[in-house]
Amino acid sequence: MMKNFLRKLSSKKGLVEKETRGNSQVEFLRDFLSKHNYVFSQDFEENLSILKRKHLVDSFVVTNFDGSVVVSSEGSPQSEAIMGTAMLSYIKSEIPDSEAVLIKKEGSWFMLFTLDKKVFIVEAGSELSNIELKALALELSILIEENKSVLKKEKELVDNNIE
Amino acid sequence: MVRIIAIASGKGGTGKTTLTANLGIALSRLGKKVLLIDADVAMANLSLILGMQSSPITLHDVLLGEAQAHDAIYDGPEGIHFIPSGLSLDNYKRVDSERLGGIVSQLSDKYDFILLDAAAGIEKNVLSALSAAQETLIITMPTSPAIADALKTKLVAQRLGSKVIGVVVNFVMGEKGEITKQEASSILELPVYGVIPFDQEVRKSFMQQKVSPVIIRKSDSPAAQEFQKIGSRLTGTKIVETQQTKAGFFSRLISIFKKK
Repeated sequence: MMKNFLRKLSSKKGLVEKETRGNSQVEFLRDFLSKHNYVFSQDFEENLSILKRKHLVDSFVVTNFDGSVVVSSEGSPQSEAIMGTAMLSYIKSEIPDSEAVLIKKEGSWFMLFTLDKKVFIVEAGSELSNIELKALALELSILIEENKSVLKKEKELVDNNIE
Repeated sequence: MVRIIAIASGKGGTGKTTLTANLGIALSRLGKKVLLIDADVAMANLSLILGMQSSPITLHDVLLGEAQAHDAIYDGPEGIHFIPSGLSLDNYKRVDSERLGGIVSQLSDKYDFILLDAAAGIEKNVLSALSAAQETLIITMPTSPAIADALKTKLVAQRLGSKVIGVVVNFVMGEKGEITKQEASSILELPVYGVIPFDQEVRKSFMQQKVSPVIIRKSDSPAAQEFQKIGSRLTGTKIVETQQTKAGFFSRLISIFKKK
């Protein structure tokens, strides 16, 4: 009680700095986290968009080695897919142990690399390390596989209904 | 099954290296085989805290492909093993920190715990440590800038596929205006693994003739006891309270007469 009295007295007299913190800082931090909450939904297209935000990239295309598009965050960019795959194949043939190709064009970075027999073409505002690219590719691969099994189940349902 | 845990914070000076060293010893005392890796390839100082600064082969040599990982392992205090990072700035520029994941995997079958002392920030060598670890333990201070950096570290770790298991709040003084344990937990959406009080004994540990972590030098100090508790939480071991409650004036007076 005495301690509280002395504290109140000294703070009124300006002898002790008031160590109080408004809630605004805590609220700001909570708000920051809520803007970065990446929860995947049932919608594959929406999940691609979430993945873009989570991995800080502008767009990505996944292709097979023949240039056919497996998945894309931006519609169906067939020409980019063929060009990117061809470019990566050429560089891989010249420099077999190369891991990724980075191209800077008009303020954007285009990163080409392969993982699990697929070609990944990623566009971002800054270059990503191999670690970041692989993390994106792994998560994308999981989403693609999940979507495949969903589509397969849907097809089975339709087939069963027809029968 | 090995647990590979990165100790990270985002902000510098939160006590990552101190936690790594003390937690490693705490885990060793619980009977676990522990390897500490100084993954801060630019500003290595785990070897200084462990009092093991003269190590000829370091992580730099391994990352450069000039030495094998097992050649860089040294015996540390209380049975822990330790891979130091080099202090050479020249080598730091040349090392490929992205190889860290492969090195850690090579060693994973020999240990129960591998703790990676990550650098501050979210630069490439931090990403390497976070990516090499399956789990991340965040250490922060009870101030909003430190919590903000911890938040960013959490997001980066999650982006790289590392599971963020919890947060340790360090340098707690119990002052008004500090972010409380509950607030830290709710802002970061993480369980609190430990609250380490500000303890002069930790600082004094760096000032001895032979430097050794506080958990060795002064194991009954409040910070040392909290490090041991964090170790127990990580292993799921029951925490035994060893701190004696402070006796009151009359109890102390009676005990003087009893002794006589």
